Amino acid sequence: MALILGAIPASAQSLEDLNIQIHGYATQGFLYTTQNNIFTTSSSNGSPAWTEAVLNVGAQPTPKLRIGVQGRYSLLGNLGNTITLDWAAADYKADERFGVRFGKVKTPNGLFNDIQDIDPSYQWALLPQSVYPLMSRNSQLAHYGGVVYGSFKLGRELGRLEYRGWSGKRVIAGSDGYFLSQTESGTALPNGIGGITSGFALHWRTPLVGLMIGADDVRDNQWNASITQSVNVGGGVTASFNGTEALSNFDAPSFFAKYEKNKWMIAAEQTRLPVSGSGVIPALAVITPFRLDQKSWYGMVSYKVTNKLSAGIYDTQSIDHQAALTPARYLKDWALNAHYDFNQFLYAKVEQHFYDGTLVGYDAALNPATKALPTGLQPNTRLTILKVGVSF
Amino acid sequence: MKKLLYVFLLVASASIFVVQAKAQVIVIANPSVKTSEVSKNDLKDVFTGASTALPGGGNVVPILLKGGTVHEEFLQAYIGKNDTAYRAGWRSLIFSGQASMPKSVDGDAAVVAFVASNAGAIGYIGKASPHEGVKVLQIK
Repeated sequence: MALILGAIPASAQSLEDLNIQIHGYATQGFLYTTQNNIFTTSSSNGSPAWTEAVLNVGAQPTPKLRIGVQGRYSLLGNLGNTITLDWAAADYKADERFGVRFGKVKTPNGLFNDIQDIDPSYQWALLPQSVYPLMSRNSQLAHYGGVVYGSFKLGRELGRLEYRGWSGKRVIAGSDGYFLSQTESGTALPNGIGGITSGFALHWRTPLVGLMIGADDVRDNQWNASITQSVNVGGGVTASFNGTEALSNFDAPSFFAKYEKNKWMIAAEQTRLPVSGSGVIPALAVITPFRLDQKSWYGMVSYKVTNKLSAGIYDTQSIDHQAALTPARYLKDWALNAHYDFNQFLYAKVEQHFYDGTLVGYDAALNPATKALPTGLQPNTRLTILKVGVSF
Repeated sequence: MKKLLYVFLLVASASIFVVQAKAQVIVIANPSVKTSEVSKNDLKDVFTGASTALPGGGNVVPILLKGGTVHEEFLQAYIGKNDTAYRAGWRSLIFSGQASMPKSVDGDAAVVAFVASNAGAIGYIGKASPHEGVKVLQIK
């Protein structure tokens, strides 16, 4: 940051000219579930273990150049209590048609991906878990590389077309929620897994004011990781064996639309995540192939009841078409939400979820198997969320 | 009945007074902005961060009022949101690294001073406020 600031032309040296801005927000959530413990919290007893605080510093030394950095403190059950770098990037916007952003940048796919961690920017306490899983959020948010973007007017009758293209390296940490069940079963990824990711998105702002229709495709090249398999060899002794895990190339397309008019907001998104790969432990002569094909969608509506109060509802589903026919194959959820702004800084959200299926953030450690419940999980769970936030 | 009529007339005249007392907003721009009219949609794009240029007008830099009747009226008339929802939209852009928040100032005079002295600047003020050194954009 200091180096970039140092490179700014002498004509723009005053703090006023640099247009330095500092923003931030903090949220505190409370989770209560009727059955399963969720998001690695003891939610069935009521859990406040969901805290986030974000600090953002940006500067705009020239009209076309912006630089910024954003850090985050995050606590979510047993997954968090960490400080991470959300993004740190320089952005050069030549004109409406072309801009480029590089560094650690937000990955702009889907309707919410690049803002899914920005709680003050949306109605919901929890985005649809079928498409935006909270426990794997940090891995999906950003990549090291760049984004090109711009927009074209299609003429008075046809609206505007916005494009975003991106490429770079993404690393999913071994502690990510994606690998929770794998880790709990004894297979760890000490260095995480990573590789090249790229994608392209088009957003058509249609002539119908407020209606945007979009599509994108995310392509991940083959990703590789080293793994460690822990095996109980008897007598309370555990041995570790090294191996590798590889994911094949895959494309994850999504289609989405959003319509905002007066007090209404309606949005929908559909995605597909087809992933296959294998884990190999040579010393044990074990090759474990895996494959998932997760098709997910959501539809949401919100309405501004008063200047301060909004209400919303969404329905979402996700089905892994490669999974066995058990409740672990799917997630269905209805969510009811209310959002209240006390003023422009302070807000509160309350939300009720009706989960059916277990394809959501459950872990084995807090949902231990019993004789009566071999998977440790009930097929249905109700989740209540209270959340307060402050932003500036 | 007469009393009721008086009350009705009183409330009606108060409402008229309130409506008339509401500031009417005009959109002003630095003389360097090449256009003299702007569509409501293009204006909305500029003030919500969706665009940084006006068709035929070149790059523009929006400036906001910190609050008040003129600010609320501008947001309702041209953005379709209240202040809280409007700022939430900007937070999406700020916290995802896509934009910086436009400068906010206190009072119409500060808006006029900024717009008059910064090339490409565009803002809004009450219709009755003095606005020398800037041009008024017609909203199509």
